[in-house]
Amino acid sequence: MDVTIRDEGDTKVVVLQGKLDTNTTPDVESAINSLLDDGVNNLLINFENLSYISSAGLRLLLATAKHMEGSGGDLRVCSLNEMATEVFELSGFTAIIDVYASEQEALGGA
Amino acid sequence: MESSTTRPMVLAVDDTPENLDVVNGILAAEYDIKVAVNGNVALKIAQSLSPDLILLDIMMPEIDGYEVCRQLKANPATKDIPVIFLTAKSETADEAEGFKLGAADYILKPVNPPLLKARVKTHLALKQSMDKLQAAYAVINRQKERMQRELNVGRDIQMSMVPDTFPAFPEHEEFDIHALLKPALEIGGDFYDYFFIDHEKLCVCVGDVSGKGVPAALFMAVTKTLIKSTASEDHSPASIATRVNEEISRDNPSSMFITLFIGILHIRSGEFRYTNAGHPYPYIKRAGGEVEILKPVHGPVVGAISGVAYREGSVELGKHDQVLIFTDGITEAMDVDDQLYGEQRVIDHFKAVPPEGLDALVASTLNSVESFAGEAPQADDITILALSMNIEPEDVSGETRKCVIANDLKEIDRVNDIFNEFAEQCGISMPVSLRVNCVFDELLNNIISYAYGDEEEHSIEVIMGYSGTRLSISIADNGVPFNPFTRKDPNTELALADRETGGLGIHLVKNVMDEVIYQRRYNRNVVTLIKHLDK
Repeated sequence: MDVTIRDEGDTKVVVLQGKLDTNTTPDVESAINSLLDDGVNNLLINFENLSYISSAGLRLLLATAKHMEGSGGDLRVCSLNEMATEVFELSGFTAIIDVYASEQEALGGA
Repeated sequence: MESSTTRPMVLAVDDTPENLDVVNGILAAEYDIKVAVNGNVALKIAQSLSPDLILLDIMMPEIDGYEVCRQLKANPATKDIPVIFLTAKSETADEAEGFKLGAADYILKPVNPPLLKARVKTHLALKQSMDKLQAAYAVINRQKERMQRELNVGRDIQMSMVPDTFPAFPEHEEFDIHALLKPALEIGGDFYDYFFIDHEKLCVCVGDVSGKGVPAALFMAVTKTLIKSTASEDHSPASIATRVNEEISRDNPSSMFITLFIGILHIRSGEFRYTNAGHPYPYIKRAGGEVEILKPVHGPVVGAISGVAYREGSVELGKHDQVLIFTDGITEAMDVDDQLYGEQRVIDHFKAVPPEGLDALVASTLNSVESFAGEAPQADDITILALSMNIEPEDVSGETRKCVIANDLKEIDRVNDIFNEFAEQCGISMPVSLRVNCVFDELLNNIISYAYGDEEEHSIEVIMGYSGTRLSISIADNGVPFNPFTRKDPNTELALADRETGGLGIHLVKNVMDEVIYQRRYNRNVVTLIKHLDK
């Protein structure tokens, strides 16, 4: 799992490469938590290069979304593959996290 | 000096002291003499001292000898003491009266000393023999009760060891099974069992332990448990029989053995693999009505000789084919003329019985044997097990892959690597593979994190199977019994703030796979997942 973070205007874009599961989630969690600790308000997680996500990844997204809602921030995700889309739908995450088709779309709508 | 307790005690009863002196003079050298001068005193002494014999005068004031005798015989404590009447009266009518009351003998006064000695000696000897006999009867009765209790214990062991809830697998429409065990008066050690060894393989066994009673019942219990534990990790009937035989023959001081039939039915393909270890031949009735004998025997009875490598056979069961497995309690049932029921009657009945449920088949088979036997007692246990295929056999040939991992989260990646390679080989599409990767992550994480209450290393077995239209995954762990699929689904419609993190993983597993099955098999949790694939 590779985590790349870059700035796009006032948004921190986190690009995940690999899979988001039991073994990889702790690393991603610490990367995201340090961003939250720095007071990041706009966070976009790019799933373009993510092969699959399991409930361990979902729990991280849920905790992050709750944290940002509490601090008045904004969490977006983009570029979900078919598998991630199904997992989002099955778990009802499409209703609680803003999902965009592409990074461009996600940033344009910010 | 001889102790008085070793000498027989004689109670002499007479209202004339002189007569008592005479008796005392004749008998005192050999017996411990007690005297009573009237009936009431006699009854009290008889009750408190339990003399071995009573010499009783008839004509006495207050209560006469007849009444004393009547009361002695009415009292359980004194009724067995022999009474000899001593009297001057010699009318035969009086003698008859005395004997009617239970007197042992009659002696006329004046007494003849040698005669009195001889009669007393005779009756004391009689009394002693009677006492011994009664003691022996008491021992016999106690033994008999003990044996009956043992028989009951044996039967309880036996009956508690066989599953008897039918339908046995109401959730399975692929096959049907029914069985019955009717123990003989003296337990014969029959047993049967059936259980799943994976999500689509049913193991059935029927056995008959040599010997009878509690030892046979215990031996049967041990054998049945061994078969089940061996079959939980070994899916070949021949290999199960070989391993069970090794285990039993290695330490078998009582030299008991078992005739055993083990069959494993693949409930979708109808393949029935079996081993016959010295057991009566089972029969197959095809859907068309013809009966086949499952003739091969693959080795000797189990437990007799070590080092036997059992072989196995295989037969294909089609829709509505029935298998009848039984013990020799059926074929060797005898009628009142000692004729055997025999194999031909089993076959004839099997052919003739209308194709109704297996419960009817089993009941009518027993009924046929019982009608034949008539009044003849059931000499041996009777066991009947019937099995049938209820669906058209499916083609289940295909690829399988098995791996065993340790309870370490890092091992999840290894399983997914093995699966991805397997999926690529089988041409399983990437979207399906990614979903299965997720499923492995959820279930293995649950097992590794929560199934074990200790810090020990444990093995988790993963089996993958692919048949062109069907992907099956089974995961087996020896952790605490836990069915993950009983967990309530999380509410996926709550607002963000109300959402909980638990239960999502199992929810995903249930939804991305088409079938999820949990079974507790022997000491393992086995989860089986099926995904139907379009081709």
